[in-house]
Amino acid sequence: MPEEIAIVAVAQTPARRRYADSEPSMLMELTNRLLAETGLPRSAVDFTIAGSCDYLSGLPFAFVSNVDGFGAWPPVYESHLEMDGAWALFEAWVRLQMGDIDIALVAGSGKSSPGSPREIFPLQTDPYVAAPLGLDPVSVAGLQARALLDAGLATERDFAEVVSRSRRSGLSNPNAQVKKDVAVDALLKEPYYASPLRKHDLPPISDGAAAVLIARGKRARELTKRPVWIRGIDHRIDSHHLGLRDLTDSPSCRIAAKGVDLHGGPIDVAELCVRYSPEEIVLRRALELAPGTQINPSGGPLCGHPVMATGLVRVIEVAQRIREGSARRGVAHAASGPALQQNLLCVLEAS
Amino acid sequence: MSCESSTPRVSDGVHRDRLRRMSSLPPVRYQLEYPYTRTTGPIVGAFLTALRDGKLLGIRCGSRVLCPPLEYDPASGETLAPDFVEVGPGGTILSWTWIAEPSRKHPFAKPFAFALIRPDGADTAICHAVAASGPEALHTGGRVRTQYRAERRGAITDLYFAPEAEAESQYIPPGKGAVEMTEHLISLEFSEPLSPHRERYARALLDGKFIGQRSPASGKVYLPSKGYDPIERVQMSERDDVVVADTGTVVAYTVITPVQYYGQKETEPYIRASVLLDGADQPLGQQDIRTIPLAEFRSGLRVRAVWKSRAERSVVDVDNRWGGTGAVIERWEPTGEPDVSFEKIREHNW
Amino acid sequence: MAERCAVVGIGQTQYARRRSDVSLEGLVREAALRALEDAELGFEDLDAIVIGKAPDALEGVMMPELSLCDALGAVGKPIHRVHTAGSVGASTAISAATLVESGRYQTVLTLGYEKQSEGNATWALGGGRSGSQGAGGSFAPWIRNYIQRSGAPEHIGWKVAVKDRLNACNNPYAHLHMPDITIEKVKESPLLWDPLHFLESCPSSDGAAAMVLTNAAGAKRAPRPPAWVIAHAKRTEFSQFPGRDTVKPVAGVDCAKALYQKAGITDPRRQIDVAELYVPFSWYEPMWLEGHLICDENEGWKMTDAGETEMGGAFPVNPSGGVLSSNAIGASGMIRCLEAASQVRGTAGGCQIDGAKVALGHAYGGAAQYFAMWIVASEPEPKYR
Repeated sequence: MPEEIAIVAVAQTPARRRYADSEPSMLMELTNRLLAETGLPRSAVDFTIAGSCDYLSGLPFAFVSNVDGFGAWPPVYESHLEMDGAWALFEAWVRLQMGDIDIALVAGSGKSSPGSPREIFPLQTDPYVAAPLGLDPVSVAGLQARALLDAGLATERDFAEVVSRSRRSGLSNPNAQVKKDVAVDALLKEPYYASPLRKHDLPPISDGAAAVLIARGKRARELTKRPVWIRGIDHRIDSHHLGLRDLTDSPSCRIAAKGVDLHGGPIDVAELCVRYSPEEIVLRRALELAPGTQINPSGGPLCGHPVMATGLVRVIEVAQRIREGSARRGVAHAASGPALQQNLLCVLEAS
Repeated sequence: MSCESSTPRVSDGVHRDRLRRMSSLPPVRYQLEYPYTRTTGPIVGAFLTALRDGKLLGIRCGSRVLCPPLEYDPASGETLAPDFVEVGPGGTILSWTWIAEPSRKHPFAKPFAFALIRPDGADTAICHAVAASGPEALHTGGRVRTQYRAERRGAITDLYFAPEAEAESQYIPPGKGAVEMTEHLISLEFSEPLSPHRERYARALLDGKFIGQRSPASGKVYLPSKGYDPIERVQMSERDDVVVADTGTVVAYTVITPVQYYGQKETEPYIRASVLLDGADQPLGQQDIRTIPLAEFRSGLRVRAVWKSRAERSVVDVDNRWGGTGAVIERWEPTGEPDVSFEKIREHNW
Repeated sequence: MAERCAVVGIGQTQYARRRSDVSLEGLVREAALRALEDAELGFEDLDAIVIGKAPDALEGVMMPELSLCDALGAVGKPIHRVHTAGSVGASTAISAATLVESGRYQTVLTLGYEKQSEGNATWALGGGRSGSQGAGGSFAPWIRNYIQRSGAPEHIGWKVAVKDRLNACNNPYAHLHMPDITIEKVKESPLLWDPLHFLESCPSSDGAAAMVLTNAAGAKRAPRPPAWVIAHAKRTEFSQFPGRDTVKPVAGVDCAKALYQKAGITDPRRQIDVAELYVPFSWYEPMWLEGHLICDENEGWKMTDAGETEMGGAFPVNPSGGVLSSNAIGASGMIRCLEAASQVRGTAGGCQIDGAKVALGHAYGGAAQYFAMWIVASEPEPKYR
């Protein structure tokens, strides 16, 4: 019988082009906020797990200093993934199901400002046949976008509508970095950057961090009046070889959706990792989201993309809406790798 | 993000103030560069050898031909026999994107396309660059042909594609031997402003002073500070800055025999020591000692910093993470005071 | 209520300075296929994959789970990647074990690797800068402090170096085979980071190590005896803070206490039959014997000196040859966990400690601040001495 696990507190920094603060400093602020909100001492957190990526700051072992942010004295039980914090949430959720510990702190953080993401991210690709070409995620997103157009599954206007709607939604999100009211026709006049993508189809470069506290059943109810229950987390990966993939679809999303029983209830809100506008179209299809589903009311990554925290921020945005009462059940999505290669889904629900 | 008090608060306004007050010392610039050498194994090796020789190879996988070749059947994970098939030189575009502003890492400096191309004779697509006169020359379903660089190294960059109508005929003489290794020089540049407390630390070094920070919660003096007290989880601010003496005690050391590697500038052995400065509660590490003979060096030794002349001091190597004292100290020299006993410094071993 | 977890398959690559015969995919597949073969399973039987390795800059491949997933049969499955510095191999094994123990996944492949010949470990450890002190340069001052605290004679480190390299001669996978190594040779080898000599230091290796973990039902079906995971623990502390004990870190002590408590071990020195400890520099053998409460403070070097940690001794340490004989950083912690499992399965070949029923696998990393350890046994409910 899987343990009931809930999110009991959330915290995020706004996404910003550049923070003066170090990553550990940001994480310290978030950790303190979570502990203050729940009234917990640091020692009450049984397991701490973080996601981050050394390459963003160009320093092997950069993740080690992030421990300063969470606190590790007296020594703590913690771990680290070189992945978005959403995968750290997955590991924490799995760990709590062993039933022997109650509370976990999960974080994701990254400063993309010091380096050039466009030059760093090709290193995620096959080191023999792709990385030396500098094959960056924007270019791959361009290939995916064209595939959608060619298949008649989307138009450039559809892409622009995603951008227009998302950036307008960002206007009501205090954590958004890029937010504006811009009409679809104005967007379509812009020149191509990686055709058929235009610069506005891309996410901003951001620094930022996010963290949540999760707890098991009874303990969760003690810590907050409004626990947000994690009904399921599943993550899957597609082939790395672009030539083997159908870029218009996401088999890994489909499998994950079954794994979390995505359509086992209404989806009041979906926060999806849409870094490039065409990704929303792929995800809507693959997740079989009904037309009219509320997607990315936060504005999504098109408004702020603190790499390594972006996925966890999606979880937080859904959780907050459930806590506020504007949604009862929602799904958060995180992605990693070129053209949505790896996908994680997290279904959250009110009590 | 605010660090002004021990009760953290987030305020956009404060954040903007901090950005304005941010460092006017130049940003820290650093480079992560290494010429990686990758052994290829037999499958990738055969593929790259063929590229050097002006040919494109696929590998048989059941009834299909995969290009680029894989070591395994992607469906089952079973290892594939090295049953190669020459594919191309023609191919069909399955998708493409015109790159208007190439990055420094792209195969071409002027606009070009990345494309998924299914070589003739293959059942899968290879992702590669297409050099074309313009985006009008390309369309899904369009025909392209392999082209090879004049200088080839047995790397994926030996190859590119061009639209059939624009492709050149080439004669590629085969090379000698099998390619078993391929090189990739990965060079990344980073730049970030010094955080406010590090800027103050660096400026103090230029003034011939060590600045640490005293935790308002514990009273411990951190040097160099990271801007917070990690034990009490409290952010620190300018008012927590304290001047720390430039005399102290050696608490730990080793002798580094430099290992040669790409970018290494050291050649001769030197002592690397940690010094607990008087007034600090944790040692200052990574102090290189080149003027005190090893026979006269030991833990417990009392030392003082001898500063460079003001004009010679540089904090270019001070950054937001490592400790370090840039290039402001000429050398450490013994003060002549009696040694501090092991028991007194035992817990400061860093 | 946690499910039980057992190791039912083990696979390792040949460790070497440079595995010039394989690509990255070839390297990890070598270990993965061997582990699957040992378990008599195929990729299709795996429910999840957990990989771990040290910093990506060692190979210049960022987030390698993305480019290696196909090679490991992970397409359509969950795969994640752990990164906890030098301790990563053990952290990865523990992460995989928790996937099984949660009841969420039945059969999990876990793998640690490094192909560090593609880059340069000293360069990476120094953040890509000139003047890197490497790992040895960081630990040498702490080793000096231990020697001073404990009064240990200078030959202890040399003795460990000889023992582990001679043990490695029984391990066909080991990188270093030095049948002619002697105390004299170690003493005369160049000083790399005073007081550590060259022959007291780990090599830089390419390699991968993998295990197949499964639950009780899977263990019952396994063709060869399983190694039961009895307990695991991890602890972390800051790299540096006022008053930090770098020689006997509190995180290491706490980790051991938590591990033994979970395992029901009250006398580790007697109740553990064999230990694979992460000893990349010779002196860490006595330091971890003390640091993980196997013996009292200042007694670790006496255990080594008396030959207790030899294969025929009362507390054998590193019969595989240890990190001193093979060090593909991302794999090394996994190898310690895997070798412990081999011991209690009785499949350790020439490295086998007779009658080993309870074994300790251990790794540490960073500034001796990350600790990850597990206890495995031949029975699901071991009866300790």
